[in-house]
Amino acid sequence: MPELNAVYRHREFGDHLTTLAAYERAGGYLGLKETLEMPPDDALYAFHRSGLRGRGGAGFPMGRKASFLPKDAGKPTYVVCNADESEPGTFKDREIIEHNPFQLIEGITIASYAVGCERAYIYIRGEYESQARVLDDAIAEARSAGRLGPDALGPGRPFDITVYRGAGAYICGEETALLESLEGKRGQPRLKPPFPAVAGLYGCPTLINNVETLASLPPIMHRGPDWYAAMGNEKSPGTKVFSVSGHVLSPGNFEIVLGETTLRELIYDMAGGLRPGREVKAVWPGGSSVPVIGADSLDVILDYEALNEVGTFLGSGGCIVMDDSGCIVRASWRLAQFYRHESCGKCTPCREGTGWLANILGRMVRGEGRGDEDIRLLESLFGRIEGRSLCPLADGAVMPIQSALELFRDEFERVAREGSPRPVPMTEAPVG
Amino acid sequence: MTIAEIEEYLAPMRGEYADPRSLILPALRYAQGHVGWLPAESMAAVAEATGFSQAYVESVASFYDRLYLDETGRYCINVCVTLSCMLRGSDELFGHIADYLGLDGEGTTADGMFTLAKVQCIGACDRAPCLQVDSGMQLGPLEAADATCLIDDLRAEPAPARYDR
Repeated sequence: MPELNAVYRHREFGDHLTTLAAYERAGGYLGLKETLEMPPDDALYAFHRSGLRGRGGAGFPMGRKASFLPKDAGKPTYVVCNADESEPGTFKDREIIEHNPFQLIEGITIASYAVGCERAYIYIRGEYESQARVLDDAIAEARSAGRLGPDALGPGRPFDITVYRGAGAYICGEETALLESLEGKRGQPRLKPPFPAVAGLYGCPTLINNVETLASLPPIMHRGPDWYAAMGNEKSPGTKVFSVSGHVLSPGNFEIVLGETTLRELIYDMAGGLRPGREVKAVWPGGSSVPVIGADSLDVILDYEALNEVGTFLGSGGCIVMDDSGCIVRASWRLAQFYRHESCGKCTPCREGTGWLANILGRMVRGEGRGDEDIRLLESLFGRIEGRSLCPLADGAVMPIQSALELFRDEFERVAREGSPRPVPMTEAPVG
Repeated sequence: MTIAEIEEYLAPMRGEYADPRSLILPALRYAQGHVGWLPAESMAAVAEATGFSQAYVESVASFYDRLYLDETGRYCINVCVTLSCMLRGSDELFGHIADYLGLDGEGTTADGMFTLAKVQCIGACDRAPCLQVDSGMQLGPLEAADATCLIDDLRAEPAPARYDR
């Protein structure tokens, strides 16, 4: 059960690394020092060699994404950090920002050096105002120490970071919606291509990465990409933070080496397990937008490929656990309500489809269901929503519900006939 | 909220964005801090200060949950009701707060002190069930008694100089 704190450096060095001095004592800015001694292309190659994959949810190789940016576009190049962390069950980036903000700042600086960016943005969700203030303070301190500003990347080589606050919209975590929002528009996704690497912020080449991805760069550049690539397995190297919540006794964030820990170990050994007498019923292992899996998948190894093999995704690492006291239809209804609320309304299949999912599941739970007719109606909806809209929100709404229906069909059929009384919620306080 | 105040607030950030349209969201957030929501006069002032039409500014504002187009109470009590919080009793917590405030679900109390809302995941599932007062620190895990204390404490506070929605 190997735990390794690469992005959660604060856990190894006392709980807060919120001053520059503390961060530097903990080995901070050694990664940037190494980076600035090599040409930008060598830094890009190091990202690639590390095997680091995007930690926001899609898992796209970070080095490849960075290599898509044209070098001679004749326009400014931007780096945007996606700190919109809104995927239900995910709270890993919040801890990086709260306790280790300079590692994020250093990571953004490293990425910006590699792609030739002079102005980076951190787009942070409006609900993270407390966290945004930690970033404001850290950036101000980095600026006064010369880590940001006119000579940040060497004499006469400027670089700075702007924190941009959202105002409450899950969809702004989708990268093109995020760019729209940052450009002062409604946060509705763009048609791709062109991809942000070519035409991103203000129509310029833009690298967008998640907080955890960028915070992984300082240790990669300090200890070397081969050190990182050697952890885990070939396709899923490095460490990943899993946020565990729901019916576990010790919810929290756990940074683990990919490919070495099982879901059972994460839930029982790290997150404190369940209440006595309870068993795992359902797990959404990568945030709420992934297919749900049941107790028979608990021995799956946590990495991208192994989770795919059991029919789900690693996603953001937001692992929501429900025990056998919970009702799967009620849980699915709650997720459908989430997606209905968060659909931006641009694409009809998503805007209308998520509403229908919520309506049908809602009447089933309330005991107003229409039996098998509602089950058939649900099944007919999935294909009319999935794959028919501009961004993955609609797919994310279908996957957890469709998989739940496949896995727990008997329960759906029963609830469609009889309804589902509200279960007694878990009230045990978190342990530890 | 005068146009000049918004312009003064925006002045130091103008150099940070290649397009002044990016100033609309910061301006809206700033204007909202004045009275806690965005009446038409505030929209007009933001439009004037940023150089875009009021209709456009309103279309942007209407997209975002935490920009309020209707009058709010002094404090917005935002109770997360998404899955992780639901499993740990968010519906019961919300019901208790509504009862304590004398509300029938979401809404604003008659004395204008509190606007109670169900919100989607606020990124604090480790503290479930949790809530946020405005956009303050995510508080949790909360039992009914904790929420009651919190509301009593807020009631005793003087009105904030600015609203952090």
